[in-house]
Amino acid sequence: MAVILIVEDEIFVRELAGMFLQDWGHSALFAGSVEEALQVLKSATTIDALFTDIYLKKAVYGGCDLAREALMLRPELRVLYTTGNRATDELRALFVTGSHFLGKPYTPHQLQTSVDGLLQV
Amino acid sequence: MSEIAASDIVETVPSALITLDRNLIITSANRAFYQTFRTNRSETEGCMIYDLGNRQWDIPALRTLLESVIPHRASVEGFEVEHDFPLIGLRTMLVNARKIYRAGNEGSILLAIEDVSEERAARKESKRAWQLTQSIVDTIRDPLVVLENDMTVVTASNAFLNMFGITQAEAYGRRVSELGQHQWDVPALRHLMEKVLPENKPFENFEIEDVFPVLGRRVFNLNARKISQPGNHAHRMLLVFEDITDRKQRERDALSLANEISHRIKNNLQIIVGLIAFEVRSTPKPCVQGYRSMQTRIGAIAQLYDLISHSSRGGAVAMDAYLKEIAHTMSASLLDSTSNITIDVDAEALEIDPERAVPFGLLVNELTTNAIKHAFPKGKGHVVLGARKVDNEVELTVADDGVGQTRSEVVKTPETRGADYVAIFVRQLGGSILPARDGEPGTVVRIRLPLLVGPPTVEGLAA
Repeated sequence: MAVILIVEDEIFVRELAGMFLQDWGHSALFAGSVEEALQVLKSATTIDALFTDIYLKKAVYGGCDLAREALMLRPELRVLYTTGNRATDELRALFVTGSHFLGKPYTPHQLQTSVDGLLQV
Repeated sequence: MSEIAASDIVETVPSALITLDRNLIITSANRAFYQTFRTNRSETEGCMIYDLGNRQWDIPALRTLLESVIPHRASVEGFEVEHDFPLIGLRTMLVNARKIYRAGNEGSILLAIEDVSEERAARKESKRAWQLTQSIVDTIRDPLVVLENDMTVVTASNAFLNMFGITQAEAYGRRVSELGQHQWDVPALRHLMEKVLPENKPFENFEIEDVFPVLGRRVFNLNARKISQPGNHAHRMLLVFEDITDRKQRERDALSLANEISHRIKNNLQIIVGLIAFEVRSTPKPCVQGYRSMQTRIGAIAQLYDLISHSSRGGAVAMDAYLKEIAHTMSASLLDSTSNITIDVDAEALEIDPERAVPFGLLVNELTTNAIKHAFPKGKGHVVLGARKVDNEVELTVADDGVGQTRSEVVKTPETRGADYVAIFVRQLGGSILPARDGEPGTVVRIRLPLLVGPPTVEGLAA
């Protein structure tokens, strides 16, 4: 089972995602902004995957910037993006290599499928 | 013999010819001369050239030629004389002069006079037209430039010169690709421009965004077409730069607003999906499927925002793309990755107006959910979502290759109010459910709907 950092500025959505991940046996860490997430990433805690919203507060591509920085800190980190906006080619160009994407609104079932895919080898 | 031949030639050439002796007395003239200047032999021969026809040939330019130029040279060609003759009006003549060296005629002069008035007038008119064009060009706000066959600048409007911060002289003779920091040297543009003249293929709407020395960042729309000048076989190209910076900015603002709205709506829908998911955790297993169906209905509405924001503002939504999105989400949310049920789309390129897209999407969602729920007790099968134009209507089909459903499983009493979702959505769309056909494997639900673009029909509203 994995440790997943959830970065989401909408608290209800974040808590619920965490709840489901825990239902499936994972551990969840939480952050509500890029800055908070970087603090967690810079700590010594084990983190297997980053599940981040893209539009974070005022930062339109905050999740994309975060993932790039996160990978510099932890090159082995797996990344799953989510956003309410359409995943255009322009947006996908900002994604880190090997990352996954899950559009909003996602059901728990879709989240589970995405996380399973993310954690596979 | 040779004497006769020479005089024959003199009489037949179209140029006016006269010979003068050393005292500038006319010794002979040809027929062309008499015709051009409306005179005759008796008035001409023996007359001093300046005295001819009330001294109308006493022209300063001609005096210069005869008295100052000829004495020092054997011949003069292309000497231009413009003069307003009392009888024939303003004329431009090209005079060729040659001294004759023959025994007894030393110092004689042969003058060939060609009337080039019309040619000169045409050239003047053309120049005037060009100046007029240039002055019109200069008053147009959009930068424009006229290019020669080899893509070099012939003339440029003031707006164009301002755009690059150069003078007319600096622009002249340069290629568009060489202007500024060569930022217009774009293969796609070059390719288009190369086709304008040889293939007479104008182009429009080539968009280019750049930073300009005076103007700053601008977006231009380029148009080019072939232009021809009257009396000139050479073709040139008119290249117009339409400044669409402001329009582009408005479009970007609208897009970012649409994105912002879509983002908020999706987040709210995510909350609703989350609320349902939360309920599911404490719901007995038999009820879970109902909640899952609810989630896919919400998903069907959510996908619309993607498609609407992607289509032109206020424009129609591509039905085939919408069906594919629905199929994709339903597969992801209702079927496990190990499921042997597949959902495919076989639709024509039809469109649907955004107002009716929601009931349409929900209708497809219900029919597909029904198929998955009832058609495949063994958990294996194929569902196809189809849309095609039949007569003047849209025929929506949801077909499965399963065990076949009873009519009440597909839809309950569609003609009465209430009933189930399918009936409500069909009524809302002003459509009707076609009766099932015998002998088809599985279940095929066919629904006829009015064409889904344009205002709803009266029946649609009345229903």
